This record gives sequence, structure tokens and C-alpha cells, in this order.
Amino acid sequence: MKHNRIRSAVLVAVAVLTAMLFLSSCSKKQETLYLYNWTYYTPDSVIKKFEQEYGVKVVLDNYASNEDMYAKLAAGGSGYDIVFPSQDYTSILITQNMLEPIDHAKIPNLKYIKPSALKIAEFDPNMAYSVPYYMGAAGIAVNKTKVTDYARGWSIFADKRLAGRMSMLDDLREVIGDALAYLGYSVNTTDLKQLEEAQRLINEQWKPNIVKFDAEGFAKSFATGEFWVVQGYAEGIFEELDPARWDEIDFILPQEGGPMYFDSMVIPKGAKNIDLAHKFIDFFLRPEIYAEFLDRFHFPDTIHSEAGKLMTVTPFYREEDFSNYELKNDLGKNLATYDAIWQTIRYVD
Amino acid sequence: MIISDKDKRTRRLGLVYSTPMGLWLSLFFMVPLLIIIIYSFLTKGLYGGVELPVTMTAYKQMFNPNFLRVLLRTLWVASLSTLLTIVLALPCGYAMARSKHQTFWLGMVIIPFWTNSLIRVYAWISILSSEGFVNEALKTLGIIKESLSLIYNQGAVITVLIYMYIPFAILPLFTTIDKFDFALLEAARDLGATKPQAIFKVLLPNIRSGIITSVIFTFIPIFGAYTVPLLVGGKDSYLIGNIIVDQVTKTRNWPLASAFSLIITLLSTLGVLWMMTSTARERARLKQQPVKDRDDLQINGTAIIESSLKNSTGGR
Repeated sequence: MKHNRIRSAVLVAVAVLTAMLFLSSCSKKQETLYLYNWTYYTPDSVIKKFEQEYGVKVVLDNYASNEDMYAKLAAGGSGYDIVFPSQDYTSILITQNMLEPIDHAKIPNLKYIKPSALKIAEFDPNMAYSVPYYMGAAGIAVNKTKVTDYARGWSIFADKRLAGRMSMLDDLREVIGDALAYLGYSVNTTDLKQLEEAQRLINEQWKPNIVKFDAEGFAKSFATGEFWVVQGYAEGIFEELDPARWDEIDFILPQEGGPMYFDSMVIPKGAKNIDLAHKFIDFFLRPEIYAEFLDRFHFPDTIHSEAGKLMTVTPFYREEDFSNYELKNDLGKNLATYDAIWQTIRYVD
Repeated sequence: MIISDKDKRTRRLGLVYSTPMGLWLSLFFMVPLLIIIIYSFLTKGLYGGVELPVTMTAYKQMFNPNFLRVLLRTLWVASLSTLLTIVLALPCGYAMARSKHQTFWLGMVIIPFWTNSLIRVYAWISILSSEGFVNEALKTLGIIKESLSLIYNQGAVITVLIYMYIPFAILPLFTTIDKFDFALLEAARDLGATKPQAIFKVLLPNIRSGIITSVIFTFIPIFGAYTVPLLVGGKDSYLIGNIIVDQVTKTRNWPLASAFSLIITLLSTLGVLWMMTSTARERARLKQQPVKDRDDLQINGTAIIESSLKNSTGGR
């Protein structure tokens, strides 16, 4: 008796589950666009507008680093229709033949892309496989309520008075790149002497004052007042802060220059909705929509020729601040040299 | 005849019972382990992954003073936190075993698992930071004026690791202490042992297997920990787990990451072997002692206590 009851209960459960699966697969006629973007980088309002206008569903997944994204794509079958890699990974994806070509006829709004931006985009200047999304750089955020007198450049990390209250990113290209730029070298240098000089600068002058190299929780610690000076991306830092407190923060892109990033929209091979992906890219580049994106994150207009005029908020930094900045290129085999230097910074107390 | 038939059937059933577990282990443990072993002997691909030819490069790269330093630091952090965890867990397990409300205390030990571990680590950040609960409380009480640096150093890593893994130490200790016959402690006292002597000479040797299990349950996961040092650690808290993650993701050196993972696996295997041999030895020791029947156990236990007490005083 008991057994029978259990068995019939199991049967009912199985039947219900199958029915649910069947029903859900039937109702899935609506087209779905799968996006894979950085955290803090996709405005919800834009996604909603796209869904309404085209009668589709958008599924958004986030990643925290290019490496995470690349690992997922390289494993195959990720199922994403648009991914947003930075310049070095865009060029890796292109050389590895992992991207679908961009059909310019389907994206008339490509006309708004600034020629000056394409000149910087050496990895794909003709937009054969990628369309610019945004170009920016990590900078320094200073809490002005805690620090009043400071250098507005990379040398702030050598300021002993701020020891124990500063953090830098847990990112070898960013930290070593800042030191290289401060010393007047290229952020992509492979010259050992220059790299060793940068290594000494970080280890002897900056590191003693840094609490930790952190890319995870530093923005929260900055918001609580634990850290006074942090190196990071503006959008991530301000996202943790109440807008009422934004005036307390000085966000600096040092004039010495530094490494810059250039993120693009690409369609990975194996994407199922290539047509819809093109529609999204075209939609996103509409001046009023792109302006909405810039407004949301307080970005300056670095790649779009029209959207800047439609912005309603003041960006956290200006496009002119980038004049000395340089794109981080894919280092290929030379990454090992940078890693060896990074080990002396990160592994040793 | 009947018995042998039954035997056969149970043997066949035994095979049936063990097959799922065997399949599970070979599929999700042996195969991945084999993949890691193979990867560690291959050449690193330029953009992650591995390529031929077979090489020892990863193992050569491991003998680098920077890596050795991280290895030693990991050993130090893991040993110290394990030791402190056991020292704290022992009285807990003892109190639980002697309590009348065992189920309640068991529940209390398990409750933290209801919250995601990452959230609990973030909670520790707000406890330990300079404007955190501890510092604010000490300031309000007037004990300190300037905030203490409680976070972003090795001390914070060890504190949080102890917090994270102490339930894994308490549970095996509780179960072994629960089986321990507390009359033996009274007997020891009757025979002239002081309270600490009774604990150290009678209780601890008898719950050895529980202690070994808790050591393994805490040391091994701590040895491979990476989120705790990443979130509450500072410049001095980079551990082997962090190397593995960074070599897979940032520097795209999968063979080296595999070689480091193998070290952790090897260490865990050694730990488990140690546990197995020491329990086997204990069992052998117990077998040698003549136990006529179960009622005798009490007297027999007293005899063990007597002899061990004699040994301890006679030794001096």
C-alpha cells in the first residue's frame, strides 16, 4: 500500500514536470537575444526599450574580466549573440576566427562612429568584426572629505601620509601600465629595462602605501570610508556611492597618461540570432539611445559623434583627459615577462 | 548451503549498491584528476588551454622563489588556522556531547550554512573594517581612540578561515566524544588523576580518530582557499589557491595551474592516508587487548587508564 502510494506520487510529479517542460517550450516562440557584457555596463532602460520596440526578450549575463568571457567562448556553445570584449581580446577573437563578420548594410547607424575613435581601434579599423561600444580608462578616485591636499597624478600612491588607506587594482596590465606611463614609457613596452624600472617604482614607492591589490571589494570599502584613494573604473566606484555624495569624490585621469581600454560589440561564431544582434547594435547606436547609455554611467562621448550633444548629465571625466592614454594591446608571449614582474609585486609581502 | 546462497546474494547486492558510487567517483573525480595530471605535463597555449609537446616546464616553473614563498605562506596560514580551529572546536564538541540538548546545539552549529559563504565573508568585512563594528564598539567603550587595523592582513585571513571551517571540526569531534564513555573520566579521577590529566591522558587519546578527521576536514580546504585571502587579505595574504586562479585566468598558464592543483591533491591524499593508517593502527591495538565480553569493557578501560597514568608518572 505504502509503496503504491509513493509510486503514484512519483508518477504524478513526473507527469507534471513533463507537462511544464512541454508547455514552456511551446510558449518560447518569442525571439530571445542573449547578451554577455561586463558588470555595471548595460543600462536596463535601453534593454527594456529594445524589448518593447522589437517584441523580443533579452537575456543578459555579466562577466568580471575579459579572461572569464574568453574562457567561456573558447569552451564553445556559450549561446551568446553579442559579447563586449576589450581591444586585446577583440583582436584575439578575430585572429582565432571566433567572430561573425559585421554586415554594415544592416547597421546604418555606424555612420555615427567617430573617425578619431576608429583611428585608435587598430585591432579592427574597418569594423569588419567589431563595432565600438565605449572607450575609457581606469583612474584614481579620491575621497575629498578625508584627503584635502594631494597630487592629481600617479604619484599620489607614493604619498606616505596616505599609507594604509589606498588600493590599486588586482590587474597586472593596469598597475604596471600606470607605472610605465608615469615614467614616460609605453604601456605596451617589452623593453626589460623599462619594465624593471616600473617594477622598482611600484615595489619601492607605491606598494608600501597600498593596503591591497583588489578588484573585487575596493569600491565598497571606498564607499564606507575604509579606503580614501582607490584606482579603479569610474562606473564601478560611483555605482557603490549614494549620488548625494558624488561631490565628495575627485575622479582623476592623470595627465601622465596610462592604459586605456576600447570595448566593442562582437557577434561570436555560433550565435543563433545574428540578424537580431545586428538590429540591437543599430538600435544601440541611435543617438538618443547611446546618450541614454552615457547618461546612465556618466561617461563622456568617446566613440559617438552625436550622442554627446544629447546628454543630460555631466560625465565623471572628459574626453580630453585621454590625450596621453594608450590602448593596452595583446602582449602575446610577452605576457610572461609582465607576469614575472607581477609575481614580485603580488606574491611577495 | 543455505548460508552460502545467502552470501552470494548479499555479495551480488553489494556490487549493486557500490556501482553508483564507483561510477560517480570515477566520472567526477578520477577523470578530472587524470585531465589535470595530463595538462600539467603539456605546453601552455598562447591564449589558455594546452598544446603538445609533453614537457616538464610547469614543474620547472614551480621551483621559483616567489612560488616557494607563497607555498610556505600557505602552509603556515593553513597549519596555524587548523591548530586554532581544533583548539576552539574541542571544548565545543565536548560541551555538546555532554549537553542534554544535543540536537539544539547541532542545529546552532549548522545554521551558518544557511547563508551563502561569500555573504558571510562580506559580513566579516563590515565587522573588521576600521569603521566596522569591532572598532566602533571599542571606540564607544573608550578603549581605543584610533581604529585598529583588523582587516586586510594575514590575521584577518586566519580569523575568517577559522570561522568558516570550525563547524567541519566540531561535527566529527562531537560524534567521537559522544561515543566516549565518560565514566572513564570519573575512573581516572578516582585513580588520582587531576582534571587536566584526565583530559589529556584519557579523553584525548580515545578521541584521536575524531581529532584526525577534523584536522583533515579543516586543513585541506584551508590549504586550497582563495576567496577568503582575496577578500579580507592584504598584500601579505596571497595563497596557492590564488596562484591557481590567476594562472588559469590572468596569465593563461594552465599547465602551471594544474601542477599546483596536483600539489594540493597530493597533500590531501597524504592526509587521508595518514588518517587511514592511524585508525587501522588503533584498531589493531584495540584488538590485541583481551576483551572477554562487553561488561568487561569498563574494567578494561580502567586498566588502560591505570597503565597510562603509571607510564606518565613513571616516565619522569
